Amino acid sequence: MLHEDVVCPFCACLCDDLKVETDNGTIVKVDNACDLGNHKFLTDDDHRLKEPIRRTPSGWTSATLQHAIDRTVEILLGADRPLLYGWSGTHGEAQSIGVHMAEVLGGVIDSTTSVCHGPSILAIQEVGHPGCTLGQVKNRADLVVYWGANPIEAHPRHMSRYTTYTDGFFLDRAFKERKVIVVDIRRTQTAEVADEFILIKKGGDYAVLSALRAIVRGKSDMIPATVAGVTKEQLLRIAEMCKKAKFGAFFFGMGITQTQGKYKNIRNAIELVDELNRHTKFTLTPMRGHYNVYGFNEVCTWMTGYPYAVDFCRGMAFYNPGETSAVDILARKECDACLVVASDPAAHFPKDAVRHLGEIPTVQIDPYPNTTTAFCELQIPVAVTGIDAQGTSYRMDGVPIRVKSILNRGYPTDTDILGEIYRRIKEAKRV
Amino acid sequence: MIFTLNTGRTIQQGNNVEMKYHPDYAKEVSRCHMNPLDMLDLGVMDGERVRVTGPAGSVVMYVVQDETVSHSTVFVPYGIYANQVISTETHGTGMPDFKTTEANLEPTEDSVLTVPELLRALGGMPYVA
Ligand code: SF4
Repeated sequence: MLHEDVVCPFCACLCDDLKVETDNGTIVKVDNACDLGNHKFLTDDDHRLKEPIRRTPSGWTSATLQHAIDRTVEILLGADRPLLYGWSGTHGEAQSIGVHMAEVLGGVIDSTTSVCHGPSILAIQEVGHPGCTLGQVKNRADLVVYWGANPIEAHPRHMSRYTTYTDGFFLDRAFKERKVIVVDIRRTQTAEVADEFILIKKGGDYAVLSALRAIVRGKSDMIPATVAGVTKEQLLRIAEMCKKAKFGAFFFGMGITQTQGKYKNIRNAIELVDELNRHTKFTLTPMRGHYNVYGFNEVCTWMTGYPYAVDFCRGMAFYNPGETSAVDILARKECDACLVVASDPAAHFPKDAVRHLGEIPTVQIDPYPNTTTAFCELQIPVAVTGIDAQGTSYRMDGVPIRVKSILNRGYPTDTDILGEIYRRIKEAKRV
Repeated sequence: MIFTLNTGRTIQQGNNVEMKYHPDYAKEVSRCHMNPLDMLDLGVMDGERVRVTGPAGSVVMYVVQDETVSHSTVFVPYGIYANQVISTETHGTGMPDFKTTEANLEPTEDSVLTVPELLRALGGMPYVA
């Protein structure tokens, strides 16, 4: 059976033009996806965890779903400060149950945001977000800047769907007209296709952004001959390209959120965009990674007022990344139980944060066994959103897209499992 | 020699993201990409091993020659190997220093641990179907 307009649940480009062929409950062919998307659909079945598993002193053994849910409820109710972490690889409906659950438990809820674009959000909270949809970029942008981002490897269809290689309604010959600037500390594959590549010295982002702001403000005489390894000549050229553009779109990745200065870099980038808007139209979009990491921020914000790292221990929402974010809470050994949903912190957190996961009762709800499994007491497999579960997901520009289910592999969804756990918790707490 | 450890996504890391016990995942995220001149200074060749030591500890990785990596930095695909050396310090932002950790590199004959070995060392019990 051929499924059209299938949405790819891998990265936050959320490409919605895939054609997927299924035969007898198996995915046999995928069209239009990139390498990452293809791989996700075609190999999904090989890696699934088949049934709930429980850790015993001598190894892993299977568990019934009933036991897994009972024990999860018991762990969460018995904890003083449970951490509910992950959420980027599931749909908005499940995320919203997670936020409700954290509130009733008086726990902390955080998503993978805190280790990807958390700093971008901190900067946006300081100085605002001059954003737009990717449709605007596609149809209008004649200048695209990728700063600390490598879409060819991390978001392989970003350039062909929304920027460099796509037609634009308001551009005559988009492919020729559109210029691309890439800024990075290494010559990435994306740098190879740039019209202008700026190679900056490690940690030099803030200085280069400041220099560009100064030039755009008309203060180029105060710029030294080089700034973080970038020549003044190149900086002047770049500033001119930006000012001359009819519509510029600035995309930034973790190359700038994870480096020193963190959110202050993004603040500076937003202020550069602000400066450029005095000359032309310029926008800025974070290159969000997981397909629904943005969704968690949306859901959490409309439910609590805050986008991630929300602590309910005071009986109300409290937000202070650096204190209420997952890595910090684990490093301080503050949480006494953890529920991991749709992510793999053991592969992506510094090892001393990971160690604490194994010292407390940890339960994981995830379709695949992963490195976090090793630190869990239990894992409950669920359906994969976009393959055998449906739900709402948010693209990197904040556009909600309904992700489809294309077959049934017999797994419960995140919403089913979390809904049941939440129902039992409410019952026990009499709320 | 001290280098700045820069981590990031790669296609291969992305493809193996749902199969962390597969040797392909370990192969990708245990690669330490180095500039050829830095390799010369350190006295290592492509495919040899280095011990990378940072604030949280140390881990052995394979050297991969890579002209795109800048002098005095190394690039490691984001994953469990790099996280053996990165500290939990977030400077009050929630975000560890994934791209700016200072690490000491030295050539070594020690072998590169497998993902299950790394997990066991942290007290985990790997699940193998
Ligand atoms: S670019 Fe992202 S969403 Fe699009 S097909 Fe590739 S992995 Fe999927």
